[in-house]
Amino acid sequence: MVGDVFVAPLVVAYPYKRTVGTLLSRFFTSLSECRLEGTRGSDGRVFFPPAEFDPVTGAPLTEWVSLSDTGTVSTWAWQETPVEGQPLGHPFAWALITIDGTDVPMLHAVDAGSPDNIAIGTKVKVRWAQDRPGGVTDIACFDVVGGAS
Amino acid sequence: MADLCAVVGVGQTKHAACRADVSIAGLVREAVDRALTDANITIADVDAIVIGKAPDSLEGVAMPELWLADALAAHGKPVFRVHTAGSVGGSTAIVAAQHVMAGIHGTVLTIGFEKQSDGNAMWALSVPIPFGMPVHAGAGGYFSPIVRGYIGRSGAPKHIGAMVAVKDRTNACKNPYAHLHEPDWTLEKALETPMLWDPIRFIETCPSSDGAMALVLMSEERADKHAGPKAWVHATSMRSEPTAFAGREQVSPVAGEMCAADLWRKAGIKNPAEEIDVVEMYVPFAWFEPMWLENLGFAPRNEGWRWVEDGVTEMGGSLPVNPSGGVLSSNPIGASGMLRFGEAAMQVMGKAGEHQIDGAKKAVGHAYGGGSQFFAMWLVSSTKP
Repeated sequence: MVGDVFVAPLVVAYPYKRTVGTLLSRFFTSLSECRLEGTRGSDGRVFFPPAEFDPVTGAPLTEWVSLSDTGTVSTWAWQETPVEGQPLGHPFAWALITIDGTDVPMLHAVDAGSPDNIAIGTKVKVRWAQDRPGGVTDIACFDVVGGAS
Repeated sequence: MADLCAVVGVGQTKHAACRADVSIAGLVREAVDRALTDANITIADVDAIVIGKAPDSLEGVAMPELWLADALAAHGKPVFRVHTAGSVGGSTAIVAAQHVMAGIHGTVLTIGFEKQSDGNAMWALSVPIPFGMPVHAGAGGYFSPIVRGYIGRSGAPKHIGAMVAVKDRTNACKNPYAHLHEPDWTLEKALETPMLWDPIRFIETCPSSDGAMALVLMSEERADKHAGPKAWVHATSMRSEPTAFAGREQVSPVAGEMCAADLWRKAGIKNPAEEIDVVEMYVPFAWFEPMWLENLGFAPRNEGWRWVEDGVTEMGGSLPVNPSGGVLSSNPIGASGMLRFGEAAMQVMGKAGEHQIDGAKKAVGHAYGGGSQFFAMWLVSSTKP
């Protein structure tokens, strides 16, 4: 009830699956095997996570690029009080991370310990999850490996 | 006065229960590439994109048209989304045609799609709204009493639904893109299939499919310079009504009758059964073929079933219905209406291959959605109006 007005509960819960196709299957499989692979676009840019279609021409992308597990923080925000379901149970940074050899940043978490330890330009490295079913959370988070450049 | 509009390219996916080889983006792209190839143009020639699909709850992706911009090569172009439940493939094609008829865009790409295997449409459409009695029986459960109502008032014998189903499944064997290729059905075997939602049998229900359909539409100015066959849009119409209201005619909804009457009036058709060469009709449950024959004004009230029994709607009959195999053989819901519209275009373009109706000059595409409450139709011809 809200005051004297009745309010009915309505919970909608429903399972789905995702068929990701052959190209993205390779991406998710490589993550489960602790490898990062991106795709190269028509203008030479490398995308991670891989783009399925060229952002410039729209053509399907087929050229794969093997990448290292390190990258650079493009920008970040501090999560002081994590909530359930977030990647870490203690304060951490959400960051846009440009994986070395790629041209477009991806969103992930950095276990920086303190906002004093992260800045634009901070070098980070993948920390792999123990269980890797094939998904972007196969990367548990990133660790800081060097100071801001 | 509206400009003229013609279909110059048609492309569809191979429909299947699960197209695991492609993502949603890849599925859409497969149809788009085929339509562009068929029209002999590239994506760079397209001015605007109109996309439709059934409710987002089917795959669980909200506003997929935004996510699909890369797959549609839509950067820097307007993208419009259309929502009208199961009729959406038809109304999406109509909205695309209206962009051309209004003189706004010269070349429009339109797409309908569904990847049913990523969810379960039957349950995604059965959210238990408070105070509405939950039936949990899906579309078949919803429509079965309406089918029974038709049988009761028309006196149709009980084998009519199975006759429609055997016809459509047999026709589908001539359509390489159809989901179901089942050449061995007989009426006897069909009548032995289990009763799912009495009086609707298993064979009388559509499959659940992954698939997409894409069309390329052009203005008269561009189409006249474009080599190859065209399907000229003579008329389009859409009508809707609520699912339930006091006194609603459930078997032959007024909105459907109005939609057809409007289409015939706009296209100058006096006797649809005589003047139309082939119909691609939205028949997800077999009994809807005789019901829509009456609703659309082809057959007199309560006589539609006799047309089925007499073979009028077979490929060799005087009014072939669903030579492609129809929704009963492929049902990627958001694409199903556009498949009807596109298959109608293919017939008058002479591009229907083995399921071509010889000499088809005027064809109708029809779609309905929701609880028989959204209707979309177009009439296309090999010649200009």
